[in-house]
Order: sequence, then C-alpha cells, then structure tokens
Amino acid sequence: MVQDLPPIGGYAPIQYKRNIPARGLRPAYYLAGVLGICTFGFYKWAQSIRELNELAREKVWARLHLIPLLEAENDRDLVRRQIADAERERALMGDVKGWKMGSVYNSNKIITPRYGYGPDEELREKPT
Amino acid sequence: MSTSPREPQFHHAVLIDTTPLPDSVPKVEEVGATSAPLLSASYFIGARCKDYNEDYMLCKHEAKGRGPVDCLREGRKVTRCASSVLEDINKYCLKEFRAHWECLDQANHKLFSCRAEEKPYNKCVFNNLKLEKVIPDTPKGEVPVHLKESPIWRQK
Repeated sequence: MVQDLPPIGGYAPIQYKRNIPARGLRPAYYLAGVLGICTFGFYKWAQSIRELNELAREKVWARLHLIPLLEAENDRDLVRRQIADAERERALMGDVKGWKMGSVYNSNKIITPRYGYGPDEELREKPT
Repeated sequence: MSTSPREPQFHHAVLIDTTPLPDSVPKVEEVGATSAPLLSASYFIGARCKDYNEDYMLCKHEAKGRGPVDCLREGRKVTRCASSVLEDINKYCLKEFRAHWECLDQANHKLFSCRAEEKPYNKCVFNNLKLEKVIPDTPKGEVPVHLKESPIWRQK
C-alpha cells in the first residue's frame, strides 16, 4: 500500500520570521539610555532635597534672629498690662479688708492672662 | 438668643487697655516694622545684636518664669539694637533694602525667590555696615545656599 511521504530531500524550511531589516539601535543601548536618564534625574532630585534642607535652615535662622526682638516687645506689652491691672486692682480693692493683692495663681511666675478687662467703667456691662 | 446675659461682642473700648507703662520704666521706641522688612533684615539684626539677643534669652531662661519683668532692661537693649540696624540699613541701603523686602512680600516670603534682589542688598550692607549674612551650620565644603550660582530652587 502506497503512503504519503515527504518529498525527496525533505520539506522546505518554514518562514516564521518577517523578512524586513531591523530598525534602530540594539536594545541594550536603549536600556542604558533610560537608566542613564533616570540616574541623572535621581541625582538632581537628591541635590534639590539637599538644597531644600539648606533653604529650611536659612529660614529657621532668619526667624531665630528675630525671636528676641519680638519677644521683648511682647513682654513689655504684657508687663504694661499687668502693671495697669494691678493699679486698677489697688484702686478698686485696696481698702477692702482681707483682700489679697496680686496673682490669683499659687506661684510667682508671670502668667499671660487669657482675658483682658479694660479700664472704662461706663462701657462695662451693668449686672442685671 | 444667647443664654448668657452678656452681649456677644468684643468692644474695642472695653477690651483694649491703653494705659502706658509707668515712668519708672525707661521708654523705648518699638521697632514697628512689618514681617517682610524684618525677614529681610533678620540676618543683619542677628549679626550685630548677637550678644544682646543671647543675653536676653539667657536672662529669660534664668528668670524661671519671671522673665517679662526681670528682663525688661535686656529687652530694651535688644529692641534698641535692632532699631539701630534698621536705621542704618535705611540710611545706607534704602533702595536695595526696599527692593528686597518688596520682593519677599510678593513672593510669599520665600527667600530663594528673591536672590536677584538679595545679592546687591547683601553687598551694600556689607560694604556700608560691615554686617555679613552667615547661615550657621552650613555643611563643610558646601557653598551657602544664598551664594549658589545656579540654585535648583529659584522660581517665583
């Protein structure tokens, strides 16, 4: 019985590859390029972070140089208010027997008052 | 309606205490500058007034809570010194100073946005007042950030 057999000399090779020329560079070059650009970017990024730290230090020192000045001004205002407060207290309560002048706190420290009461009697609210 | 008998308002005449300091305390004129000129002059204030500033802060530290009263004298020195710096800058470098702080005012107080104005200003102050801007603790071998030729951060 005659069977189907390959042709003499075998089959021709199958063409599985496209027959067009390869464009561009070898892929390794592209990979190297991308890595290079990324490295440069990371470098600049790190530099910029370092510069930001320096800028932050510059700003902090600018403020540190001003702190004594601002604090001195605020302290004078605080002392002015406290002296005025004590004067008012003396005027109002000076002749009341058993009245203890001075701080309501059990300490000698200067404590910034949370509320301010002004000198003007007329504008104060009358108790109802 | 409020449950309290008080009127819900802050009345200036009631809340602001205008009593001046007694005459026993020596008078000193407050600096009165706003934030941008102060920021612009801060390094020079720090350069000239370092001793007074440190004296004042040490006094407050050692006063243990009595600082505002006990350190009034040191505080006056601090304010007088800062006023003298601002006065001198106004006298010798008014144009550069004004350009710099107006730039800071417009640039959200970012110092790196105003380097172009800062350079002639620093130079003028150094030439006339002999005060130099030095940022403490700059890493060794690095150009201080305000002197960099091509800084990365510079946009408005």
